[in-house]
Amino acid sequence: MSMGIPEIENAKLLFIFGYNGADSHPIVARRIIKAKQKGAKLIVVDPRITESARIADMHLQLKGGSNMALVQAIGNVIINEGLADQKFIEDHTNGYEEYKEFVKKYTPEYAEPICHVPAEQIREAARAYAKAETSMILYGMGVCQFAQAVDVVKGLASLALLTGNFGGPNMGIGPVRGQNNVQGACDMGALPNCYSGYQSVTDDAVREKFEKAWGVKLSNKVGIPLTHVPHRVLEEKDEKKKIHAYYIFGEDPAQSDPDLNEIRETLDKLDFVIMQDIFMNKTGLHADVILPSTAWGEHDGIYSACDRGFARIRKAIEPKGDVKTDWEIISLISTAMGYPMHYNNTQEIWDEMRSLTPSFHGATYEKLEALGSIQWPCRDESMEDKGTPYLFTGGKFSHPDGRGKFFATEWRPPCEVESPEYPYSLSTVREVGHYSVRTMTGNCRALANLEDEPGWIQMSPEDCDKLNVKEGELIRVFSRRGSLMTRVLPTERVKPGATYMTYQWWVGACNELTTPYLDPVSNTPESKYCAINLEKINDQAWAEQCIKDSYESIRKNMGIDTAKKEV
Amino acid sequence: MGKQILTTCAYCGAGCQLYLNVEDGKIVSSTPANGRTNEGNLCLKGHYGWDFLNDPQILTKRLTKPQIRKNGVLEEVEWDEAISYTAERLSEIKAEYGPDSIMGTGSARGPGNEANFVMQKFMRAAIGTNNVDHCARV
Ligand code: SF4
Repeated sequence: MSMGIPEIENAKLLFIFGYNGADSHPIVARRIIKAKQKGAKLIVVDPRITESARIADMHLQLKGGSNMALVQAIGNVIINEGLADQKFIEDHTNGYEEYKEFVKKYTPEYAEPICHVPAEQIREAARAYAKAETSMILYGMGVCQFAQAVDVVKGLASLALLTGNFGGPNMGIGPVRGQNNVQGACDMGALPNCYSGYQSVTDDAVREKFEKAWGVKLSNKVGIPLTHVPHRVLEEKDEKKKIHAYYIFGEDPAQSDPDLNEIRETLDKLDFVIMQDIFMNKTGLHADVILPSTAWGEHDGIYSACDRGFARIRKAIEPKGDVKTDWEIISLISTAMGYPMHYNNTQEIWDEMRSLTPSFHGATYEKLEALGSIQWPCRDESMEDKGTPYLFTGGKFSHPDGRGKFFATEWRPPCEVESPEYPYSLSTVREVGHYSVRTMTGNCRALANLEDEPGWIQMSPEDCDKLNVKEGELIRVFSRRGSLMTRVLPTERVKPGATYMTYQWWVGACNELTTPYLDPVSNTPESKYCAINLEKINDQAWAEQCIKDSYESIRKNMGIDTAKKEV
Repeated sequence: MGKQILTTCAYCGAGCQLYLNVEDGKIVSSTPANGRTNEGNLCLKGHYGWDFLNDPQILTKRLTKPQIRKNGVLEEVEWDEAISYTAERLSEIKAEYGPDSIMGTGSARGPGNEANFVMQKFMRAAIGTNNVDHCARV
């Protein structure tokens, strides 16, 4: 995020794009409601009538997968109606002329049939966004999980450049991330192209610095992204280019990745799979070695919030069982392989990281203790440097010339669209109370009672009538890749032809259905959207029994004594 | 006597601060703290999301011992064996196919930043590849 979460409530206009705050981050949603109470205008772009859409001044209920066309139509209106901030553009940006040329054809009338949003509504939204004193854009997985995700993000940033909504308080653009520490994994360099602090592995000076500190030669070749692993295992013919071993740490690809069939095949084909986690999970069923680690609450460390805020996590209780901290396990393996690593505590690791990472260098444990949370960049160790609430102060950007860059490109339809055989679209969404793959929340008694397997599919009342299905009834859902059963949930909130499922259920795992298409730049799977068909199940009693059996067998596989367990 | 431990919620990127209330070595409840982002508020997950630590075994089971697959079945082993076996297999694969034949992940969930830093250092310095990544992107 270029801004901080607390600033949300002070913006004069919030433009909320494919982000359902109420479901994914209730506390961020609270700030949105506060902003509204303080008089902010709210524009929501979402195919569904989300909680934020309900309180919005304007809801653009666009068709899934048409984000890019809408974003550029808004840019088009801002320019054509003379609402652009010419001074900001001149002083702080590059590429404006090309941008202007490119979005010329994206008139609201051009976008209307693509987005299913009336041209006049696009105009009104554009005017409101450009005219507000400070406007802030928030976007979420509704943007990130489409194949054109990176384009859309750059397109949204261009709207902020166009209107001078960068470099001051209560403005800017912010992704609101799903999992708690995605920001942290990126910050620390769990990325194929950079070390901690986004320092590139192909930059010679940077690499030499790390080589010197770590006493070893490092590769200057960008690594492969996670989402390319199935291909590198199943299709790569050259043995030398194949992936042979997979060290899976705190993730569950056999549940959370798109196209689960392909992932299972991949895991089985690999020569060696290491799974390091706190709970048994579906990936573990394919592992050669399982390394049990401590959980949140049992170890110390630091997380990064989605607004760049570092904050401490602390050990509250002793772990039960014969487990170790993640960093200790990794260090032991490393040492056994002939590259000794040893740390006594997380602070030692953090200090090594800081010494190699200028933009995080000032965020010491002592300072975090005193301040609670520090937003990076924080470069200086002195108490003076309290971090950076918002980025690009005074319109200075992180590009080498300090200028922000405009971006435009053609809208592309989603990789898989509805067809006569698969006439419905399916998008995956998140539900309040449950956390991605659910090994944690599914094991919390108060939260597990919220909902029961196998989860629900949201459909419009019109589609329910057409298929003659009622609320709660089990229905078969199938795509080109798989099929499953789930319960019908009729809701006025979705348009006919569109359906929605949550992705945390074990029996109704919607990633059995989704596509493995990737965004070419971010390599994010397009799991938000695919084409499906629906079929009424006449024998409901049989279907209920199937669900029950498969739930029991999953729990048994996970090592739970099902006979004993009915609390 | 119970104690209160200040920490950051593990469930989403909002970074809410909370106290875990511990009695007899067990977490019994949580209390919202006055954090920068949450200012004394928590959602359901912050209020009740700690219960998995008590391992109620509703969906899956806590892992409590290292395991190695022997003849197709996972068997519990001691740490020494698990570590040396893992190191050996990784070394063999590295020797035979080169460092880029090994892939590692970071974790966007509970482990924390330090563990991610150590993981990418391990992949880069010990294995010798930049093949390290985590699940969610953009
Ligand atoms: S309490 Fe809720 S909103 Fe806050 S970090 Fe936890 S899950 Fe996110």
